[in-house]
Amino acid sequence: MTDVDAFDPTESRSAPASLFDRVSFPPEVWCESFSSPAIVRNHWRPLLSAMDAMGADLLGKRQARVRRMRHEDGATYNLFDDPSERRTSWALDMVPLPITALEWAELEAGLIQRARLLEQILADVHGPQNLIRDGLLPAEVVFANPNFLRPCHGIQPAGNRYLTYYAADLYRGADGRFRVLRDHGENPAGLGYALENRIVISRVFSDLYHHTQIRRLAPFFQAFHHSLIERASLRQEDPGIVLLSSGPQSSVYFEHALLSRYLGYPLVESQDLTVRNGNVFLKKLAGLEPVAAIFRHLPDSGSDPFALRRQTETGVAGLIQAAREQRIDLVNPIGSGFAGTPVMPVFLPALCLKLMGENLALENHPAWWCGDEDGRHHVLGNMGQLTVAPAMDRSMPIQAADLPGQIRAMPHAFMAREPVRVSVSPGWDPAGAGVRHTILRIFVCATEQGFAVMPGGLAISAPDVDALLGDFPERQQSKDIWVLSDQPVAPFSLMDGLETATIVRRGSDLPSRVADHLLWLGRYLERAEGLIRLVRSVYVRLSGEARLQDMPELSFLLNLLREQNAIPRVSDNASPIPYFRDLWSQLHEVLYRKDTPESVIGLLNRVQAAARNVRDRLSLDCWRTLNRLEDFADISAGDPLDHLEDTLFTLSAFSGLAMESMTRGLGWRFMDMGRRIERAMNQTGLVRIGLHGACAASKSGLEALLEVADSIMTYRARYRTTFQPAPALDLMLMDEDNPKSLAFQLSRLSDHVEHLPRRTDRQFASPEERLVLEMLTSTRLLDLTGLTCGENGITSESLTPFLESMERNLKAFAQHISAHFLSRVPTTPHFSMIPQSKTD
Amino acid sequence: MKYRIIHKTAYRYSEPASLSQNEVFLEPRQTPAQRVAQSRLSFAPEPQYLHRRTDYFGNIAHVFMVQHPHSELAVTATSVVETIPAARLCPSATLPWETVAQRLAVHAQPEALAAFQFTFASPLITIHPSAMDYARPCFPAGKPVLEGAMDLMQRIFTEFVYDKEATTVDSSVEQVLADRKGVCQDFAHLAISCLRTLGLAARYVSGYLETTPPPGKPRLVGADASHAWASLFVPDVGWVDLDPTNNLIPGEKHITIAWGRDYGDVTPVKGVVMGGGAHDLTVIVDVAPQK
Repeated sequence: MTDVDAFDPTESRSAPASLFDRVSFPPEVWCESFSSPAIVRNHWRPLLSAMDAMGADLLGKRQARVRRMRHEDGATYNLFDDPSERRTSWALDMVPLPITALEWAELEAGLIQRARLLEQILADVHGPQNLIRDGLLPAEVVFANPNFLRPCHGIQPAGNRYLTYYAADLYRGADGRFRVLRDHGENPAGLGYALENRIVISRVFSDLYHHTQIRRLAPFFQAFHHSLIERASLRQEDPGIVLLSSGPQSSVYFEHALLSRYLGYPLVESQDLTVRNGNVFLKKLAGLEPVAAIFRHLPDSGSDPFALRRQTETGVAGLIQAAREQRIDLVNPIGSGFAGTPVMPVFLPALCLKLMGENLALENHPAWWCGDEDGRHHVLGNMGQLTVAPAMDRSMPIQAADLPGQIRAMPHAFMAREPVRVSVSPGWDPAGAGVRHTILRIFVCATEQGFAVMPGGLAISAPDVDALLGDFPERQQSKDIWVLSDQPVAPFSLMDGLETATIVRRGSDLPSRVADHLLWLGRYLERAEGLIRLVRSVYVRLSGEARLQDMPELSFLLNLLREQNAIPRVSDNASPIPYFRDLWSQLHEVLYRKDTPESVIGLLNRVQAAARNVRDRLSLDCWRTLNRLEDFADISAGDPLDHLEDTLFTLSAFSGLAMESMTRGLGWRFMDMGRRIERAMNQTGLVRIGLHGACAASKSGLEALLEVADSIMTYRARYRTTFQPAPALDLMLMDEDNPKSLAFQLSRLSDHVEHLPRRTDRQFASPEERLVLEMLTSTRLLDLTGLTCGENGITSESLTPFLESMERNLKAFAQHISAHFLSRVPTTPHFSMIPQSKTD
Repeated sequence: MKYRIIHKTAYRYSEPASLSQNEVFLEPRQTPAQRVAQSRLSFAPEPQYLHRRTDYFGNIAHVFMVQHPHSELAVTATSVVETIPAARLCPSATLPWETVAQRLAVHAQPEALAAFQFTFASPLITIHPSAMDYARPCFPAGKPVLEGAMDLMQRIFTEFVYDKEATTVDSSVEQVLADRKGVCQDFAHLAISCLRTLGLAARYVSGYLETTPPPGKPRLVGADASHAWASLFVPDVGWVDLDPTNNLIPGEKHITIAWGRDYGDVTPVKGVVMGGGAHDLTVIVDVAPQK
């Protein structure tokens, strides 16, 4: 690659006192932005002068905004479990990395050539294996390579495309030339982060972005989508494409969800898919839905427990069989991890010449294979200057002791590289401008014509080269890559791209796993709200001037907390109200104690966990609101009462957004069902416990009961009288206009149940239908006459049995829903017996 | 010899299984030493999906799936195989083992290249220094390769105890070496590991062995079992089977089903079930000589 900048006479001194001038760039490596101290390379000038014009203060604020946006979009993970470990993969550094049009053209051509070459190699290795027969590829590289999967040999992938998605990591050496450091077959990570970076940066620097001619990313995603459709000759209106993720525990799960939403491919996990008759299906509530193509974000070895590693639980059993029968298009085909074999680049120059009759356009980082006599000789003679690495299996540990001995014992397993001298570029951190070592991860996808390269990508950066070369996204940062264009860029907004690529109409049906998580999300949300309301009522009373003993309703409220196991129970003869200091610490535990699901933080934790599992079903706004919940973990933030109010507000905002933004499909129904089940249970429990304490001494207990049941406003508006048990109970249990009443929850549940999919013709009512009808009827027929309110609380002949049977039925109802729609069956492997024959 | 072999594998589940996927290597392959006259698989219940293919090593694999709830599953392979007496070998005339290892490393001839892939570690067979130490005394410098291998077989036979309880499907070669006990699969893995540490090519063979009843007793139907042994690549001769469990070179009484790098490549029956709870496995093998 030629350097266009080094001799460019038009370069000029940038304005003095530039923010980035003061950064000292190490002289022994290439600097992306400056050709010599204070001499800015041409293609960096608009960017750096725009940043200089903003000034350090504003830039600091912009970087903070970048961090916040990234966080609110959900790119942070592990956030709630341990707030001190708030981690993020590839944190975004706001200073982009511009690349000139000329340099890009060379990179693009080079990567297309490389992808074509790797695809030919994959086709040969999984087919005739002429390359090893003709001695073009050492046989060890296939036979001793764990990336070569024998069960995948002989499988012809859809459209005869062996590599449909590929990424290469490149760096620019001290001489200014780009070199390939490594190749990624199987499931390259980072595409979603590159997309997110562009979305954030184009908003934070919208002026600069729109005044600079930068190539857009959207056409790449369109090309990706269209060739997928074309290849599998799928019907456009119902493509049956899914994005297969390894699940929320993945450090890059964020990008699975983002890509799923952006491309419109439902986000699924292994257990959502099943293979029947050699075809792949998505398990949905109403039954199985055929899947024609899978954008696979699982490694090769974890893709099919049946054919590959039998110990792993991840993967879809039978997926390889479906591929063998050509019933599924996998992006990438299983086995493509072979292309990412660490030592492969060593052989590419000769293979390129032989297979394609061309020179390999993009150089490799200098490396030697020890399986080759010359290579081994060079490595053993230069051990001090080289880095020894596994040649085949990236995960193979390298023991430091007696490396030459290990190499001689098993030469084919080792390779060695020259130290990498990665170029530097300016970056920004809280301390101001700084220096970052930067490599480029560039993405390629198959198209009908061959391959297309995404004009942009993920620039991965780190303060030191070691952190940069490891595979730890959470220790690295990233930047947006700006591919500059000579020509005006078509006004192709990312969002336009989104709409065009998303021609998918999602049916209302959804995977059982998703429905399950949504149901629990609804339940935990409601449970958290209920607990917060209750604790808030207690705090409100504590912060008043009255003595604890003078508030009879306090012991009633504390009993409610005890009933929920939130605070310790007291023995019968002890005072129901503990000492102030004890009470204060008990309440603190109710809020912040992490090792119990009964605390507020424990519940919020579960809310977040459930939400993470369905994040592709939640709108961005919903997601952002949920991410605010983690502020609760910050104990230092002052008064608990304020804290509770804020959190309740956030939860309400989420509920409102969910109501407004979720389509009234099954997903919404399950989430709402969860909420209704929980609220009905909570309401029933409140009344049952309240019966005893509410009338004692004064009517303040009744008032407190209405308060925690969130019905006090309605009561006041409707009755404007003192608190009386009969109207209060009527409002909480039977009033179908009160959205907090039991009857209201039941009538909603009844409506939901009626709309659930059923697998058989409707002849008899399902158990859940019968139960909800029974509960609703008994509530409507409840007789509240003859209520008395005395020292022993409210007494009524019919009420107690009614409440007890209601609690039982609600529990049974929830179980029926789970058993009917959401049950997940465990999978177990089985093997035949160990052969055991011996003749005597 | 001509044999009729019946190999029945049956599972009983504690709860109904909703889906069962299986891959079986039960159809014997044709080899220079045996002719497969007939081979048939039968299933109960009948699978909804059945697929037969030739795998990477040339073995016959069947994949089948039972897709409706079932609490029992049985697969029975019935084969008629005619075996040919082994050609006389002259172990002392085989090449020195170092020359063989060298030929494999260079793999200039197509047979050497094909055998070369069996010189490396595989998922269930590690290449460990302890195996090398164990093998070394059998292979002094210049030792004809087959003589060395037969010495090794003899040593395994005499120094290891046959013990059904000692190991599981996943026992490692190191563990077997340390415990000095195992079953035929373990002894085959050990022999293969030892040979591979020397740079020789060795593969795993899955098959059957005709058992002879004690003198005067009738042959017990169904008392046989599936068996496993090792095979060594000997240039100019071909692959020579070695049965360390019985310390003999397999002949007419051994019937080959399939071969691969290790047990994992040719597991007779393996599968994944959804549901099913605990399962109970019965295997019945009957190797009956035919007139």
